[in-house]
This record gives sequence, structure tokens and C-alpha cells, in this order.
Amino acid sequence: MVIDVDRCTGCNGCVLACQAENNIPLNYQTEYERNRAIAWIRVERYWEGEFPDVKARFIPVLCQHCENAPCEPVCPVYATYHNPEGLNVQVYNRCVGTKYCANGCPYLVRFFNWYEPVWPESLRNHLNPDVTVRSRGIMEKCSFCIQRIRRGIRQASRENRQVRDGDIQTACQQACPTEAIVFGDFNDSNSRVSRMKGDERAYKLLDHLNTEPSVVYLAAVDKDKKPAGDASHG
Amino acid sequence: MQQRRVIDQVHTNRVLLNGQLATPKWWLPAVSVLGVIVLIGWVLIGFMINKGLGVTGLNRPVFWGVMIVTFVFWVGISHAGIMISAILRLTQAEWRRPVTRTAELLTVCSLLTALLFPAMQDGRVWRDYWLTPMDWARGVWPNPRSPLVWDPFAIGTYLSGAIMFLYVALLPDVGNLRDRTTGKMHMFYTVMALGWRGNPRQWKLQTIGGILLSALMLPIFVSVHSVVSWDFAITPGVEGWHSTIFAPYFVIGAVHSGVSAVVTVMAAMRWLWKWDEFIRPEHFDALARLLIVVATAWLGFTFLELVFALYGQEGQEVALRELQIFTWPWNAWFIVFMMCGYVIPVTMWLFKSVRNNIALMFWSSVLVNIGMWLERYFIVVGGLQRKTPFVYTWDYYRPSAIEWAIMGWSFAWVTFLLLLFSRFFPLVPLFEQKESQTFSGEIKIGRARVPAVMREQE
Amino acid sequence: MHHMASHAGANRLPAAARHADAGHGGHVAPPRPSPAEATTELVRATAAGRRFKLAALILTVLAVLGVVGIIARLAGGTGPADQKEWGYVAATMAFMLVAFGGAPLVAIAPTLAKANWNRPLTRVAALFSMAGVVTALLLIPLLAVLPPLVVDGARRRSVWFDGPTYSPHFWGMIALSGLALTGLGLFYANALPDFAAVRDHATGWRQRLGKRLANGFAGTDNQWRSLRMRIGMLGTLYFLLLVFTHFLISTDFAISLVPGWKDAIFPMYQSLTSLQAGIASTLIAMWAARRFGGLEKYIQRDQFWALGKLMFGMSLLWFYFFFSGFIVFWYGRSGPDTMVLDLLVRGPFIYAFIAAFVLSFFLPWWLLIWNKLRDSVWGPPLVAVLILTGNFLNEVRVYVTSWSVDPAHIHDRFLSPETVNTVGTHFPDIFDIFVIVGAPAAGVLLMLLASRAVPVVSIWEVKQWLLLSRPMKYMKGHVVLVAKPD
Repeated sequence: MVIDVDRCTGCNGCVLACQAENNIPLNYQTEYERNRAIAWIRVERYWEGEFPDVKARFIPVLCQHCENAPCEPVCPVYATYHNPEGLNVQVYNRCVGTKYCANGCPYLVRFFNWYEPVWPESLRNHLNPDVTVRSRGIMEKCSFCIQRIRRGIRQASRENRQVRDGDIQTACQQACPTEAIVFGDFNDSNSRVSRMKGDERAYKLLDHLNTEPSVVYLAAVDKDKKPAGDASHG
Repeated sequence: MQQRRVIDQVHTNRVLLNGQLATPKWWLPAVSVLGVIVLIGWVLIGFMINKGLGVTGLNRPVFWGVMIVTFVFWVGISHAGIMISAILRLTQAEWRRPVTRTAELLTVCSLLTALLFPAMQDGRVWRDYWLTPMDWARGVWPNPRSPLVWDPFAIGTYLSGAIMFLYVALLPDVGNLRDRTTGKMHMFYTVMALGWRGNPRQWKLQTIGGILLSALMLPIFVSVHSVVSWDFAITPGVEGWHSTIFAPYFVIGAVHSGVSAVVTVMAAMRWLWKWDEFIRPEHFDALARLLIVVATAWLGFTFLELVFALYGQEGQEVALRELQIFTWPWNAWFIVFMMCGYVIPVTMWLFKSVRNNIALMFWSSVLVNIGMWLERYFIVVGGLQRKTPFVYTWDYYRPSAIEWAIMGWSFAWVTFLLLLFSRFFPLVPLFEQKESQTFSGEIKIGRARVPAVMREQE
Repeated sequence: MHHMASHAGANRLPAAARHADAGHGGHVAPPRPSPAEATTELVRATAAGRRFKLAALILTVLAVLGVVGIIARLAGGTGPADQKEWGYVAATMAFMLVAFGGAPLVAIAPTLAKANWNRPLTRVAALFSMAGVVTALLLIPLLAVLPPLVVDGARRRSVWFDGPTYSPHFWGMIALSGLALTGLGLFYANALPDFAAVRDHATGWRQRLGKRLANGFAGTDNQWRSLRMRIGMLGTLYFLLLVFTHFLISTDFAISLVPGWKDAIFPMYQSLTSLQAGIASTLIAMWAARRFGGLEKYIQRDQFWALGKLMFGMSLLWFYFFFSGFIVFWYGRSGPDTMVLDLLVRGPFIYAFIAAFVLSFFLPWWLLIWNKLRDSVWGPPLVAVLILTGNFLNEVRVYVTSWSVDPAHIHDRFLSPETVNTVGTHFPDIFDIFVIVGAPAAGVLLMLLASRAVPVVSIWEVKQWLLLSRPMKYMKGHVVLVAKPD
């Protein structure tokens, strides 16, 4: 996935779309106050400067699906592992809830179900049948909308063709008004993400930790400064 | 300095077995009260498992809190048994004699308690058995690369070794009790005694068994808390934990807290069972001197950990230390931690009059354990609160009432187990006492009569 | 000196021993000299025979070669470009600190724990503090080569944070010279009553030297009491200073020179290696003293067995400390950690590392487990030689590698693969070999010379043992009744 931070307006549309697509439990005010809100993708906002020259910086952070994920070796029951497609998958029915993976993740993109999630009667019909509803005691995180990936692959095989670039869109990508989020196949050198990741603005979060994230960020361009050309963020 | 007494065997038997041959008056009320607290604790744990971990104060990023801190604390306390029993047995130190069984028992009880904590704080406790290689039907095994899988193996090995150690040292006394009881108790002791007759062959085997177990348990003792420390140290996600010194740092902290716990329990034992002749100020003196060395080594390791944490000058590491030392309310607790864990006790122990004062030794050892619990809290919760450079994600953690209740429950549970054991088995080894009487002698040097001890000629 | 007791019958025997079977043979008790015999024999043993003179000559030649090596190195230059050439000198200094610096602890620590088995060893162990002088001297040229903390505005990571640029140089010198002086002080305190013995029983220059150094020691109660306090305090100070010195030398001379190497356990790992190597050096010296000094009556199998057990434990701990550091770096797989492992473990000195691992841990473990080897006079010293070799190779692995990091890059934040690749395997040249052989030879030479002035086995401690112990028969065996005055 490539996320162009320059295009991000901080609208949080991706957050809402993810919540709707993936049956994420409702976050009430009490959950936010206790810092237990579940948001597989979140938009972090940092303020820069003093009034009146204040700038807001936004960056959407989601599971980076690291090649060298620190969350994977520490799970005692193999509930999280790296699948051959390059995704870091979370197996809900295997999870025992030790929360060790959450401690290992330096991006804090893993979330725990502290209580049994409850939806009001009126919202029951909005649950996505393609996605498991998790019970209490289970870790969850962004899956790159694996249900959509599977659907795209199934569709393509039914039509006897390969999956084309752009066939599979994650929920956050679909909702983003500025097309800041692009999802695709890095193995396909013609895909949009492969072409974008070579951009001079490209960088990865917490690079020095050697987690080898699969998400490439393109740095924001500040018109008041010289163009940021080096990959020195994070 | 020594306070030798000549105590004959009849007197030894009568006094040291006063808890087994008759129930002390205070025993039943104490055990009942503790039993009630223990029951309430179990109910609360059941409530937490039923409702979900939301009833605790845990959140994101502090996924591990008071329960894991208490887990590390109890594993720490369990290190006393082996330190005292094995090392002092191998070096033939005479002052170990009344202490060994209490230390070994404290190890077993605190390990049993410690094992419960990581299990109970899981999200789906009823699936905990998946961490053991028991899942033949599904064909999916536990992940041997995870430190949480190493933990049960290490702690389980330690526990089984400690139980064996306790039992081997217990056999002669169980034989003694078998010969003094009748009825149901007699049958119980007969089974437990495994046919102990006290002939030379059995004594030889028992001694060799004790020495072998001592030697084998030493590497296990070092490795257990190291494995527990690697739960924290190996993950690069929490910069405050990712330090190479955690293993020996935790081990030395465990010895510090464990030996202090033994001092606490011994002072309590002396008072409860009136064993003034057997548990003498000289034992506390020797333990205090050992503690000074251990505590100073612990302080050295703490200093090293701090220096190298700041060495890399990473943002979140510096922020963590700033939080721990300078930010309210952590700064107040930091002072309490340092005072209780090192400054006050060690300063007190430097004075001979304090070392020989049982009450002061009791209170100073309690202070040490308050300080050491706080140390684990600083490491576990502090490290998680300042985990990454993303300031957006730094947050605080307020433990809930249930977590404090469960922590209190663990103390009641350990005391309950100790008292239960004490009703059936003597807490001071009789045979060690009698052996020390046999080995003791006196030498006249000039005009002085100096106490002496018999040793084998190599 | 205390008056001797002579009435064995006035002792109170343990209850069972009063009914002991007298005159049953079997077990032969080891020889037990009388205090007077001990004094004369040990004083006479300080004489310098032909073998001694030959050894001293060889060692002097080697020491001179060592000095030649240092001078040649100095002539080669002390600038940043020459830093790589000094790697082996740094490794030798570290090895001397580890092996010779740790030995006096064998004299102190068991004594503080009220052990009696180390009484014949204390002098041999304390003699190693003479070699501390050589270690401190060896530091001086290294201080010239060690880069300052700030170069071209860039400050490298160190434990001195924002301190003055010359902190490592200053504190390193203070620590090493302080350690050397404390060691000498400890040796002097331990040897004081024996200087008095030499004054009273020897002739010639020894007698004059003994008189000067004994400083009027007459064996009064007060003098004994103040001597014990001095030994206790100096001993504790030496131990604390040793740990502190290891911390300074390993951080300033190794860790700080490798960018991105953040290793909290390394100083303790070096301290522990020092304990292991100190016991090993003492074992070898004990063996030599017993064999060439004719001291079989005083240095017995019991001493080798006790030290062998301790050395076994230390070897296991060596592995433990190494592994504790290794697993954190290896498991985390983070960038800087992996680079450090690539440089220091899997890097140019991988064979030195493997050899060190085998010699310092694996072989001692399996050899010392064998009762027959551990409980003998020849076994532990043999394993000690292996351990010292392994420790030297370990220091080479660490110090030569860290001194070989390109000086242009030691101020980087993290190691880069390019920097790691520029560090090649660097073998010692002839001057390095002169220093590697010459520096320990100089240390041993000083020890040998000192051993002619004062007996190699501590007379007063042996006499104390004779006073405090009573061998007797117990049932069918021999036991010894040991007085515990405190």
C-alpha cells in the first residue's frame, strides 16, 4: 500500500469506512477516554508551530504488514503469522488473548476486545457478512480487507483471468476523497503502487527498526519550505 | 558471632513439632480469615473472566499492567528458596539450618501463585491450554519462538525441581512425625514418608540427593527469571524494555526481593511458634549481610540499565526516564521505590544492632518488597506508556479496583498455602537442627573457648 | 602473633566423637606442619634458585621485546588513520585487566565469606596486583590513540553524554591507576605480617627489606584488628573499583567506538570474564608455585578442587551473560542490533569467536564436570590454560574489531553495512606479537620478583588455620574441628 500524506486532508473517511466494512465495535466516549477505542486505521494529527503560524499534520496509520514483523514471533499460539501473499494475518479463533503481539507492535496498530462487543438492535443489519464478528478477549487489526482480496481473486478466477491492478480496493482506499490511499501488488511491476513507491518523497515508518513495512508513505510537500526530498521521517 | 545453645533431641522434637502434634490456638482463625479472602479473590477472578478484561484498567498501549507486574514479583520471591537452600548447602554454611525449609516452601507457594497470573490475564482463559503441546486434534502446536511458551517450561521445571527438593529434605521429618502420631494422621504420614527408616544407606542417599538437586537447581534458578525477563527484553517494539541487561538484572532483583521475603517469613515464624531458641538473631545477622551485598549488586545493575537506556538518546527512551523520575506522580513513587528498595534498608543493615533486632529486620524486609514491586511496575507499565516515538499514542494507565484486589488476594493465597503446610509439616527442619548439634564442638585456644564445627577431612 | 594452644584434651568434642573408635586405620590424614616448621620452610622457599633466575631472564627479554613493540607502534603514528594498528594493544590491555585484575579477588572474596580453603592461595592471588601496574602503563599509549568524543562537531555516543571531550581518557586513567594502587595496597596489607616473619627469620637483603616494610609490626591485638579491617576495606574497595574499571574500559574503549552498539550487559560480561580469568590465572600460578617452589605441603588438592568448582560455575555464567546479550540482539532483528551482530559475532573474527566459545565455555563445562579431573592437582590448571586462551581470543574479537571501525564513521548514529564491510580480518604483525607476549611477561616478572621478598604462601594465614583447626578421629574416619571465632 502507498499512502500519499500530501493528499491527506484528515477527513477520517477511511476510519469510518473501515469501521463499517470490518464490523469494528462501536466506540463510545468512555472507550476513547480510557484509550480503548478500536480503529484499525487512525489519522494521527500533530500540531506544528505557534499561533498564528500553526500547521496541522495528518498521517493515517494502519497495520504496516511488516515483512519482519515483531508481533509474529511472540505469539505463543501462532494466531498471527505471515501468509505467502505478504499479509500479516490475525487468526481470530486461535487467539488466546495474551496481548504479547500488541506489546511487540511499535506502531500500536493492534487492538483488543476488552468487553463482548454489543450492537444495538437497529444496527445489527449493517454488519458485513464477509467478516467475522469478534468476541471478547481477541486481538484484531487491519487485514488489508482480506475479504475483498479473496473476493477479487475469486471473481478473477471465475472469469478465467489474472487479478488486474485496481480490481481490489480496500475500504479505506474506496472511501478516500483525495485518493491518498492506493492498494496493490508490489510484485507486479506495472501496478500503480510499484510505480509510486519509487518516488523521491517515499519513506517508511520507523525504518531503523528493520521491520520492513509493506506500507510506503509519500512525504507531504510544504509550500513554505524547500521541497522535502530526503527520506528522513519516522 | 554465634549464639550457640546445647539443645537435646527431646527438646528439639517437642518444640519444633508443636505445630503438628497439636494445632496452635491462632491457626484456625487465621486460616479461616485468609480462606475467606482467598474465596473472595477467586470470585473476583471469575467475574473478570466472565465479563472480560475491560473491568481492569488496561488499555492501549498499556496492555500489561498490575497482574503481570505481580507475576514478575512472585517469580522474584520464588528465587529465595534456591539461593538460600542450594548455595548455602553447597558451601556448608552453618547458619542456613533453620532457614532452608521455609525458603524452599516459599519458593513452591509463590511459584504456584505466579503461574496463575499470566493465565488469568489472558483474553480467553479457557483456551490457555493451547500454550501447551496438547493439541493433537488440531495439529497446530505452540510457537516455540515465543517467550510466553518458554515461560511455562522454565517455571514448570523450577517448580518440579523445587517440589522435589522440598520433599527430599522433608523425608526424615515426616518419618519422625509418622512415629509420633496415630489414626488418620499416622496413615497420612506413613504414605508421605515413603518408608523412611533412618538407616545409614537412606541418610547417605538423602544427603547425596540434596546435594545433587542443589547443584542442578542452580542453573535452573538463574535461567527461570532470565526467561521471564526475556518476555520483555527481546521485543524491539518497546524501547524501554529492549536492553541486554534485563536477564541478570531481574535475577539479582529476584534474589534481593526473595531473600528479604524469607527474612519476613522467618521473623513471623519465630513469633508465631515461639521458636526463639532455633531462630536466633545470628541468622538474621547473616541474612542481612548477604542482603547488603545482593542489594548493592542490584543497585549497580540498575545504574547500568539507566546509563545504557539513555546512551542511545532515543526520544522515547529519554521521555520514559523523564516520566519515571521527574513527572508527577511517578517522581514521588520513584523516591519511595529507591528509599524502600535500597537506601533505607541497606543503611539500617549496616548497623550490627539493627541486624540483630528481629522487629527491625522484619520491617526493613517488608520495605524492600514494597520497593521491588514498585520497581517492576516502573519497568512494565512505564515502558509501555512511553513505547514508541509517536507522541500521539502515549497514554496513562489507572489500575482498577479489581486489579488491586487480585494483587491483595495473591498475598493472602500465598500465606494461606504456607499456613496450610505448616499444620502438617514442621517449618524448621528437625534433622538439620540435630545435625548441627552433632557437628558442633569447642576448641580451647589459649584461654579462650571458641565454638567449632566438625568438617570432613578431604 | 597469638600464643599457641597446646592442650588438645581441653577441647570439647562433639557428643558422638567421644565414643570414637581410636586407632582404626584406612584414611590417611594430609601432612600437617607445626607453626614453627611452616614459618621456616616458607621463608626458606623465597630463595632464588637456578630455575628462578632462568625464568626471570627469559621474562625480562620478553618484557623488553614488549617495550620495543610499543615503541615501534608509537613510531608508526597515533593519528586517526593509525587507530586500526593499535587494536591488538587494546586487546592485550583488556586481557591483562581481565586476567590479572581479577585474580586478587580470589584472595578477598572467600576470605570475606569466612572461607578457610583459600588461606594458602591469598598471597599467590594478591601477587597478581603487581601486574596491575603493567596494565595501567599499557593504557598510556592507548590514551594517545583513542579518538576524542567530538570530531568535526559530531559527538559520538558515550556514557559521558554531554561531558568534556577528554572524559574517557581522564576517567580511564584514574580508574586503572586507582585499581593498581588499591591492588598494591591490598597486597601490602595482606603481606605485612609476613614481612615481619621475614624480618625475624631471614638474612641478608631480605631481612633488611622485611624490616623496612614490616613497619614495626609486632603482632599485638590492636595491630591484628586494624590489619583485618584494612584488608576488609581494601578488598571491598578493590572489588568495587574492578567492576567500575571494567565498566569504563569496556564502554570507552569498545562500545563507544562502534556506532549503534547499545549493550547494557557488556560491562558486566567483562567483569564476569574477569572473575573467571582471575580464578584461572590463580590456578596456573598455584600449580607453578607448588611444582617449582616445593610447596606440596601447603598448596593441596583441596585448593585446586575448590577453585575448580568455582571456575566451573563462572564458565557457565560466562555463557549466560553472553547469551543474555546475544538473544536480545538476535531476536529483535532491528537494524542497529543486526549490524552489531554482523560486525562482532558473525563478522571478520568469527573464528576467534567460535574458538573463544569453545575454550571459555564448552570445553571447561565438559571437562570440569568430570570428577576425576576436577578433584585433582593437574585438572583445573589445564582447563585454566584453555580458559585464558579463550578469553584472550574473546578480547581480540571485541577490541580489534571495534578499533578497526573506520574513524570517519565512528560518529555515525548507526552502523551501516558499508562500514561493517570495510572492517577486514586483521592479523597481528610482529610488533603486535611482541606486545601480546611482552606485556603479560612483564606482569609475571614483577610477580616473580616480588615473590622473592615475601613467601608465596601466606605464613600468618596458614598459622591461623593451624591454630583454629584440630584434626581428630570420628568413628572410622578423619574429621577436622574448625573453630568459628566470629
